[in-house]
Amino acid sequence: MLHKNSMMSGRIISNREIAKDHFLMSLKVSSAESSFQEASPGQFVMLRVKGRKFPFLGRPLSIYSIYPDDGGFIVELLYRVVGEGTYVISRLKPDEEMYIMGPLGRGFDISPDHSCVILIAGGIGIAPLSFLCEHYRRCAAGRPQKIICYAGVQRSNLLVGLERMEEICSGVRISTDDGSRGYHGLVTELFKNDLSSYGHRDSIIYACGPSAMLKGLAGILKDQSVSCQVSVEERMACGVGACLGCAVRVKSGYKRVCRDGPVFDIHEIVWD
Amino acid sequence: MKNPRNPKLQVDIGGLALKNPVMTASGTFGYGEEYSRYIDLNRLGAIIVKGVSLERREGNPPQRIMETPCGMLNSIGLENVGVRSFIDDKIPFLKKFNVPVIVNIFGETAPEYRKVAEILSDVEGVHGLEVNISCPNVEKGGVAFGADPDMAYEITRDVKSVTDLPVIVKLTPNITDIAEIAESVESGGADAISLINTLKGMSVDIEKRVPHLKNITGGLSGPAVKPVALRMVWEVVNRVSVPVIGVGGIMDAADAVEFLIVGARAVQVGTANFVNPRATMDILEGIEDYLIDHDISDINELIGMLKKG
Ligand SMILES: Cc1cc2nc3c(=O)[nH]c(=O)nc-3n(C[C@H](O)[C@H](O)[C@H](O)COP(=O)(O)OP(=O)(O)OC[C@H]3O[C@@H](n4cnc5c(N)ncnc54)[C@H](O)[C@@H]3O)c2cc1C
Ligand SMILES: Cc1cc2nc3c(=O)[nH]c(=O)nc-3n(C[C@H](O)[C@H](O)[C@H](O)COP(=O)(O)O)c2cc1C
Ligand code: FES
Repeated sequence: MLHKNSMMSGRIISNREIAKDHFLMSLKVSSAESSFQEASPGQFVMLRVKGRKFPFLGRPLSIYSIYPDDGGFIVELLYRVVGEGTYVISRLKPDEEMYIMGPLGRGFDISPDHSCVILIAGGIGIAPLSFLCEHYRRCAAGRPQKIICYAGVQRSNLLVGLERMEEICSGVRISTDDGSRGYHGLVTELFKNDLSSYGHRDSIIYACGPSAMLKGLAGILKDQSVSCQVSVEERMACGVGACLGCAVRVKSGYKRVCRDGPVFDIHEIVWD
Repeated sequence: MKNPRNPKLQVDIGGLALKNPVMTASGTFGYGEEYSRYIDLNRLGAIIVKGVSLERREGNPPQRIMETPCGMLNSIGLENVGVRSFIDDKIPFLKKFNVPVIVNIFGETAPEYRKVAEILSDVEGVHGLEVNISCPNVEKGGVAFGADPDMAYEITRDVKSVTDLPVIVKLTPNITDIAEIAESVESGGADAISLINTLKGMSVDIEKRVPHLKNITGGLSGPAVKPVALRMVWEVVNRVSVPVIGVGGIMDAADAVEFLIVGARAVQVGTANFVNPRATMDILEGIEDYLIDHDISDINELIGMLKKG
């Protein structure tokens, strides 16, 4: 089907710094027939600044939240300024327009078979997991009995996106690299300490964060039977599977993060 | 006639009649399917698919992409599914559309080029071949076929000898005299010539002091290369009589019109697709508007009409 509206304009409703270098942007997409109707947790958008030559390529950002609003949709993005592209985006003001393309990629595989859902977020990796959590809140039918969230950040003042997690999850465990709040150490270690308390058959893990964290998690889960899906990142150009730029190494060769992912089975990826 | 409503857009590329001169550049449009939800593929002049080789190729390790000022570097490494899977898995989808499909082919050896061309020649739904002679020649120790006039001639002649499909030969800009190579492929029997492929480049992470791309070097594309591409098209059209297809940094209709004025019979849109999935349609509509605004009733009246400044 042809989606005339897949490349849309979004009007910035707000774009504010909620922690150092961490921003929350709300965009209004005006078309009700837009592809956003079908957005699911783990999917992302490609964002580009209108009327400027730089950044040249779109920047991929996970959908943090999405809801219908007055004949259209509000799309929320939670992002960290790490370079020039995200810096330019962070300077944009309400009422400015952006190109937003999406939703893109294959999100989390949400199976109703697991009674216990474990979310592991490293830093800004909380964004897609928060949307997943919101999804569970909305779908009354297949809500798991237990949702536990592990969130790790460098320092306590960088904890973002926790409110919703706290509302929805049965438990939220925090770790900081400097010990300023919660467990002093890596979020993967914090999780590892609890691992034996979860039933491997009825639990599922969803994780997103820096690749070092995901690699660590893969090591912890190496000989475990518990299912785990991770959302990975790679540089992108097209975002739709056409350029083969966003390759990630998997056991069978390379796959495209933008189209075959960004969510993969943790055991499918080759973590070198 | 003033303001012709529907200017004629048809162009002929070495025996292939295109409904308009806007094609997609190889490697930037996947196998067509990836963009089919953004644009109506039927409206394209032609689709040139990702380069296909005899066997499946895995491509280079990531990082494969880096944004650069007004462009990007890529080191995909010609990842592709191989010619057999291409025919089985990709052609059926493309056949649903009323658009010529041109298959970009490459090989590591001359016989490999010939073999891929031979296999594709009998396939329904393939309308032309674009021979990418910009990849390293393993036989000759890493020199691109496209950098050597004799090799370029031979590959063209070999491919022509095994196929009745129109053969477009795509040239690399990473050489000294592009017109010389163009003449060689013309004498080898090329039905048309496309240029340019990407310019070899590099970029370094100064904090880590490592190249951004795992492959160290990559191919530069996008607006940054347009002046180079335009100059090369101009040099080539002055030396050969076969149709020339302009590629390189075409982002909008104005860019495309520049290439047409210089003498390109058609254009390919590459990196622009990444920035705007509707780029080809915007360019097509923009060319039409240009013709209407300038009272040109047939696009062929514009092609090669560069005046002396
Ligand atoms: C599917 C997907 C979803 C994402 N979701 C989010 C999100 O919700 N919130 C968020 O803040 N970020 C997210 N990212 C990462 C985000 O796209 C990058 O941080 C951004 O593109 C950086 O652009 P820049 O121009 O600011 O940085 P650059 O100047 O390009 O790079 C600055 C630094 O960031 C690193 N970097 C750049 N791009 C990426 C990338 N794609 N992945 C990992 N590291 C990168 C570079 O290696 C460099 O060290 C996501 C990435 C992907 C692929
Ligand atoms: C990601 C990427 C992949 C490409 N793959 C191929 C390819 O397989 N075969 C080929 O002949 N050219 C390939 N090219 C080159 C383009 O077709 C085109 O010649 C070049 O990018 C210049 O045009 P542009 O600036 O409009 O992108 C590729 C370019 C890019 C950016
Ligand atoms: S970004 Fe182009 S294939 Fe993924």
